[in-house]
Amino acid sequence: MGQQTSGRRGLSETGAALILISPFLAVYGLFLVYPFFKGVWISLHDWNLLEVAFNPDAKEYVGLRNYERVMWGKGITWGAFAAPVLQILGLIGIGAALWLGRTARVSRATAIALGIAALLLFVLPGFHPGEGGRWYDRRFWPTVGNTLVFVALAVPGVTISALLLAAALNRETRAMSVLRTLFFLSQVLSVTVVTLIWQIMFSPRQGLIANITELFGGSPIVWLTDERFAMAAIVITTVWWSLGIAMILFLAGLQDISKDLYEAAALDNATGMKAFWHITLPNLKRTITLVIVLQIILHFQVFGQSHLMTQGGPNDTTQVLVRYIYQTAFRDSELGRASAMAVFLFVIMGGFSILQFVLGREKD
Amino acid sequence: MKKFLMTAAMATCLMSPAMATDISLARFFGACEDAGTDTKASVGEACIIQSIINAASEQIDGVTVETLPTDWGNYYDQLKAAFAGGTPPDVFVMHRHRVPEFAGLGALGEISGDLEGVGIDSGDWSENALAAVSYEDGVYGVPMDFHANLWHVNMELMEKAGLVEDGKPMLPSSPEEMLEHAQKVKDATGQNYLAADFAQFPIGVRLVLAMMWQQNANIFDADGNATVDSEAARNAITAITQLFDAELADPQLNYADSQQSFLNGEAAILVNGTWVVDFYTAEAAKEEVALDTYYAADFPTLFETGATWADSHMWAVPSTLEGEKKEAALKVLAFINDHNIDWARTGHMAVRTSVLESDDYAALPHRSEYAGTAEIARDTPPSERYGAIQDVLNRELQAIWLTGKSVDDALADAQIEVQDQLDR
Repeated sequence: MGQQTSGRRGLSETGAALILISPFLAVYGLFLVYPFFKGVWISLHDWNLLEVAFNPDAKEYVGLRNYERVMWGKGITWGAFAAPVLQILGLIGIGAALWLGRTARVSRATAIALGIAALLLFVLPGFHPGEGGRWYDRRFWPTVGNTLVFVALAVPGVTISALLLAAALNRETRAMSVLRTLFFLSQVLSVTVVTLIWQIMFSPRQGLIANITELFGGSPIVWLTDERFAMAAIVITTVWWSLGIAMILFLAGLQDISKDLYEAAALDNATGMKAFWHITLPNLKRTITLVIVLQIILHFQVFGQSHLMTQGGPNDTTQVLVRYIYQTAFRDSELGRASAMAVFLFVIMGGFSILQFVLGREKD
Repeated sequence: MKKFLMTAAMATCLMSPAMATDISLARFFGACEDAGTDTKASVGEACIIQSIINAASEQIDGVTVETLPTDWGNYYDQLKAAFAGGTPPDVFVMHRHRVPEFAGLGALGEISGDLEGVGIDSGDWSENALAAVSYEDGVYGVPMDFHANLWHVNMELMEKAGLVEDGKPMLPSSPEEMLEHAQKVKDATGQNYLAADFAQFPIGVRLVLAMMWQQNANIFDADGNATVDSEAARNAITAITQLFDAELADPQLNYADSQQSFLNGEAAILVNGTWVVDFYTAEAAKEEVALDTYYAADFPTLFETGATWADSHMWAVPSTLEGEKKEAALKVLAFINDHNIDWARTGHMAVRTSVLESDDYAALPHRSEYAGTAEIARDTPPSERYGAIQDVLNRELQAIWLTGKSVDDALADAQIEVQDQLDR
């Protein structure tokens, strides 16, 4: 039938498809694919933002030197227990992956993905400057570490609180729909507004939190400039801000679960927490995976919270990768170096996208 | 309908001056919504500068000025991005410390030959002011002020602690004396001696720098060698940390909080710039503000030589600007230059000799109290990596007073990082 239609209209199905997706392809190519490759190309150059703007020939091809200058150092050695905690975790992960794969508790692809992640966790933290050595860029890896800490706190924070909220609000009453809207509202605010609100909340002088602590006789915490609390402060802000989308995804997932399941469970005396644990959670598995991976990719790109609330401080404890890229590119005008870091960030996020792809294909 | 549109179009043509040149102007200092055009009445940096700009737009024939967003934190990043994108603003404010970077790349217009034509007499600029806008053999801007760190004093707290003599605050002449004074204030009033932003904005860095300069030391020399890890730096840092250790100052306050603590009467001294003198004067006059008797003192000499951190604001045009636009932009610069006395109302020091010597200038509030500041104004040697170097120092100093890093480790790290910046 496709053949017939195309004969009459002079347009094959592929041709029609191409025409229909061409606007998308053009925009996608121009604004995503081209800039991406240009970024990779810039990362291979010594490229001063301002100098090149005035003289296009002021850039110099340096191969992979930017990557070396950012990620490597002088006299770097590898030790199996240079960072014991992470590396032992990695070893445990490798063991778990082997065991899970052997006993076929998870699919082959999942076991391999877990295995690779664990192997990286074992290998990468092992690198460290040896005697008399140093990292060329002493801030890069700590910054990556901060970003990982942020992701490791924000993602479970958002996922768990959104899941609990969604479960609590999944009822068809007017009050619940009002509450759902309220909880979603924070999501529509821009990062400047969100950080402004929370800077006031966290202020040790006029902040709500300080007032409450004082009410109970405590002395207020100086959230944003205390190294123990600064990261927590931007995580709390982030959880509050990005709760909405996760909650909506969970609500959609919850509404897909058949009521019959709960009725059957109720007959077996499983209600409340029991039903949540045995019916809701298993049925939400895919949504949870989706939410987690989306959040991971999103939060690796954290910038505004750190830039506006703590300026990466105190002492770089909340300095995150995108802020470092931004400073390198715009404050220091070192576009080549910044692009190399951006490519690194891309590789991390690409890795998580592949992970999602693998997990998403898995059968229940 | 057609007729109506035609009439409307004609009316629009008639209403806007036919030859108006639009000048885009970039600045920091923050936003002021209702600045008006009265340059004599506005208070605070943001409103004073905006009233001057509004007046320029209104009073210069055939020139309208559009002010771009006025955010502080990302100003230079935005400016660079605008240059990189080929659309720099026609007129923009910058600091003296940025001249090597921008002029070195050919971003700034050389205007020494154009000044006279628009009525700017560069001979009226003080010697330092001319130096501030000069790079190699050219003039790359119109200076607007000198600004420096002052000691803003709450006289009431000082009085209670017995630290006032002849109506002037008694300021320390050594770190040891500073500790004594601080203890006196604490004992007499229960309040902190000194507040400043040690936690975010680099006021703490400027304090340490000043005390290093007072010992004739610096963080790097003109040949590009880092000299941070020194005895002078240790002395300067210890002078401050002794106050934290004795709980006579709080390192965790950021800019807004430290300022608030001073206005609330919770600190006898606030270290901050000249840019807040008129603002604190206005606040002190208010009934509901705890600070009542305000004094703006020169940064005291705690070591051998007088020194305080200082910088300069100036206005520049991009090198790509030509023809009518350039002429219009220069007229705006001339207008700002003419209103140097209005800008000095913020508390900044003027750059024109005729203004400096005028009665109006001498009559500005608290002006005589910090008359010595111009003499002791200092800054680091010029560097294209000024911003990054300040950031290194800010991080390592914060590490000392906020996270308990040892002074030796912090200075050793700062030494390596500053050298890295200088070598790049």
